[in-house]
Amino acid sequence: MASRCSCSRREFLVRGLYGIGVGAGLPLVLNRTSAALAAQALEGTSLERHPERILVVVELSGGNDGLNTIVPLADPAYYRARPNLGIPESQAIKFADGFGFHPSMVGFERLYKDGLMSVVHGCGYDHPSLSHFSSMGFWHTGVPNGGESLGWLGRLADSGFNPATRNTIVNIGSSQSLAVRSHDHSPLVFDDPARFRREGTDAEKQALVELSRARETKNATLEFLASTAQNATESSDFVRQASATYRTPVDYGIGGSLGGNLQRVAALIAAGMPTRLYYVSYAGNAFDTHVQQADLHSRLLMYTADAVRGFMEDIKRLGRADEVAVMMFTEFGRRVEENGSLGTDHGTATPMFIFGTGIKGGLYSQHPSLTDLDDGNMKMTTDFRRVYATVIKEWLGYEDTQAVLKGRFETLGVFV
Amino acid sequence: MVRVLLPALLSAGIFAGTSVGRAQSDSDWAGDLSPIAPADWTYDRAAHLIERAGFGETPDQIARVASMSPKDVVDRLVDYENTDNRSLKPFDESGVWDPGMDPFPPSRAEAVRIAQERGQSLGVKVLPAGTSRRFQPVVDKFFYGLMANSIETQRLGLWWANRMLTTRRPLEEKLTLFWHGHFATGEYKVRDYRMMLRQNEMFRARASGAFRELLVGILKDPAMLVYLDNGENVRKHPNENFGRELLELFTMGVGHYTERDVREAARAFTGWSNDVLVFTFNADLHDDGEKMFLGRTGNFNGEDIIGIILEQPVTAEFIAAKLYRYFVREDISDSMKKDLGRTFREGGYRMKPLLKRIFLSKDFYSPPSYATQIKSPVHLVVSTYRKMGLSEVPTIPDFGRMTSSLGQSLFGPPNVAGWAGGRTWITPATLLHRGNLFRDVLFPDVKSFRPPDRTMSATDARVGQRLAQGMNITEATREGDAESNMMADRDEDYNTRYGGYKGNADAFERTKVIPRRPAAIDLTSMVKAAGAGTVDKVVDHFIHRFLSVTLAQKDRAVLVDFLRGKLGTDAVRPSEKLEDALRELLYLVLSTPEYQLG
Repeated sequence: MASRCSCSRREFLVRGLYGIGVGAGLPLVLNRTSAALAAQALEGTSLERHPERILVVVELSGGNDGLNTIVPLADPAYYRARPNLGIPESQAIKFADGFGFHPSMVGFERLYKDGLMSVVHGCGYDHPSLSHFSSMGFWHTGVPNGGESLGWLGRLADSGFNPATRNTIVNIGSSQSLAVRSHDHSPLVFDDPARFRREGTDAEKQALVELSRARETKNATLEFLASTAQNATESSDFVRQASATYRTPVDYGIGGSLGGNLQRVAALIAAGMPTRLYYVSYAGNAFDTHVQQADLHSRLLMYTADAVRGFMEDIKRLGRADEVAVMMFTEFGRRVEENGSLGTDHGTATPMFIFGTGIKGGLYSQHPSLTDLDDGNMKMTTDFRRVYATVIKEWLGYEDTQAVLKGRFETLGVFV
Repeated sequence: MVRVLLPALLSAGIFAGTSVGRAQSDSDWAGDLSPIAPADWTYDRAAHLIERAGFGETPDQIARVASMSPKDVVDRLVDYENTDNRSLKPFDESGVWDPGMDPFPPSRAEAVRIAQERGQSLGVKVLPAGTSRRFQPVVDKFFYGLMANSIETQRLGLWWANRMLTTRRPLEEKLTLFWHGHFATGEYKVRDYRMMLRQNEMFRARASGAFRELLVGILKDPAMLVYLDNGENVRKHPNENFGRELLELFTMGVGHYTERDVREAARAFTGWSNDVLVFTFNADLHDDGEKMFLGRTGNFNGEDIIGIILEQPVTAEFIAAKLYRYFVREDISDSMKKDLGRTFREGGYRMKPLLKRIFLSKDFYSPPSYATQIKSPVHLVVSTYRKMGLSEVPTIPDFGRMTSSLGQSLFGPPNVAGWAGGRTWITPATLLHRGNLFRDVLFPDVKSFRPPDRTMSATDARVGQRLAQGMNITEATREGDAESNMMADRDEDYNTRYGGYKGNADAFERTKVIPRRPAAIDLTSMVKAAGAGTVDKVVDHFIHRFLSVTLAQKDRAVLVDFLRGKLGTDAVRPSEKLEDALRELLYLVLSTPEYQLG
């Protein structure tokens, strides 16, 4: 891949996207997009005030133990509830008055000190579900206890982004997250870019391009399959090349899948993918630490912090730090009291994290009380959709958060 | 070898009948649970039934089914105990379990902790004080156990796949797969293939009997008890996991119970645990106090809770609807759900009447049900082999790797909710991959194939290479300089990386090797037996044999042009290049969007 100019994405779009010469796949991926984006960049329409801005959403699946992530050092109730699992004040990385990071999160400490990280305490929703599947579904749809079938990012794309723009949403994972399920957009979902390809001779591949065209039929499932096949054909070359040719000196850490996935995002951003919404997850219910939590959780947090710090550093190296924000969530926190098997059970309120150069780093909202509990669980202080509204409005510049989130949610003033 | 060759005459008759006469009469069949008339029984409908209730079949087998009455077909399919299946072999265990390995510790750290306390763990003694790496034998044994279990589980998956391919009771295996997804349990947490095997046999034995028996079976199943940590569910510290999944995923579904019901159910199951492979009830750990569950009050135990759950109409509806979604289609109307649920509950939760009703219903054969289901990865691979007429699952490429790369591992569902199925199987990447895998089957890469049951991770293999070069353990296990690596244990009591390597090596020595064979495909004979002597006829035969939906004319033309281009003529005669050309053609057919539908 040719090295990219260090100009901003806005200038880059205006100068024309065909010029970067990544390979034969490019014009197909950017099909009908460059002109639209460039026009928006020039005009600064209300719908698209910031066409260069990208949101990366990171999911920690399984229910991360927020109390051992952002440790409430000054609260004796924390140590009473966690005689074995509590992180001693002497070991935590103190970063703010009364709060410390888990000792393995050196990466987050760095980001926080550099003003690139915000912590929003106590996120949750009314009538919380303690089921992974229900609660994750609520975070994905952004409509707790509501039975919504589309994801919040999918609805955001439906409302805010032109469906003619291909690959507005990229979801790195082995299956599509409900969070990105959209009515008008077809998210690009893949796991390993190297294997995102059609095998075969040129003649076979040519025939399969013909056989994989989108079509109209009475069979809705077939229609879905065919349009997915066409998108796969058209996007796979670009994604594969972007990833295969990507070189970075930045260390994303060695553990877990998150670092690799975030590096894939960096590669696509570097290659000029028109994607505005990236979704990656630390998958497999990894954070569900019911039993013997201490070592496992320590590793998970280290991998997570290393990966995000690596990503932010890499984006900065690419000259794109000002264009990318990261939001991190999990489906619930864990019970205040540790359980009898040196682990923690499903809980409620949990911190969320936002990263980027565009933010005012620091702590937001109130930490929930550890003594005024609801059946052993913390009472949330911040509806998680306020954080969604914050990234939608303050970062991506889309005003009508009510339409996307199906309710009014005050933003938090996290972004400058 | 090709199992059954298709008589040319029969196939000619089938071609004439394909897809004709379906579209008109069945337009108002959706939602109609009344039985299909013998006069409406066609080749396509027989193929549809065999695809859904089993794993598909070759055209001649389908023709045989089409010649019977629908009622006889469904009776034979569902009352499968009457079909002799003794030719299927039991699982051939390697014998990897040594005395002292039970109970297998949940982590390496725990294995070491036990060893520190007792001087031994996993049946292995700690080395004398003063020796370097005193705990190394324990750590080696722990990794051996992990790897040996993983290999045995791979072999178990292949054994099951072969059952699916060769069974004469396809519904039995299809149901066993359903229950595996419904009562999802993963070896990656259970870490004991013996438990997984026993659970699989329990599913099979109770697959179509009374649901209560199956439910009691799974709640007393060691693999499930371990998977949901119910050993931790004790009177003083009830663990809600078991109670929650029982209500949410196994019986009632979200929205029909309260958080309190979850906790009360969990209390009733305190003391339900396992001594390795045997269910145990420990009365000392059981909470026999009063519970209030779903509006009833009493000193309920686990069996009482099951009884109360089965009294709820919603339970019968939940299970009936899930079976319907698995066998028929994703959306089920409320009235049909209630109707099927009532049949199920009033019939004492016996599954056979419910299954027969579904398989005979007009709804099952209506347009919204027909060829609208996305095949699961396991179904996709097994049914392709079955349609090819294979009598054994090929092992190059590896069966387990094929399906897991598409999102489905036998004995390894993603979580306790099982596989979400339907459209979630499909992403742009998995869709391409679904085709690619069959290219590997049709053009197997025997030379560079690396058997997963004998391949170490790159890190472990590197340790082995360095040791072979004469390095000591410390040198051989040094690795990179990333931050997290610095924290990896440099504990002098043992070396984890060496343990990983040694455990692998030992497991390779002691587990039976999976014999590696590519598919015994002979497409030249297949088209000859079908009497397909021209390019057009070959394409039509492949479409007929493999696709459930008709291909559009222009897409059919792409295939015809492709084969004609390969052969340079319209005539299909045995020649050097014929087999490869046919395989390329089949690769195209199996890569179409249409082929994903069953």
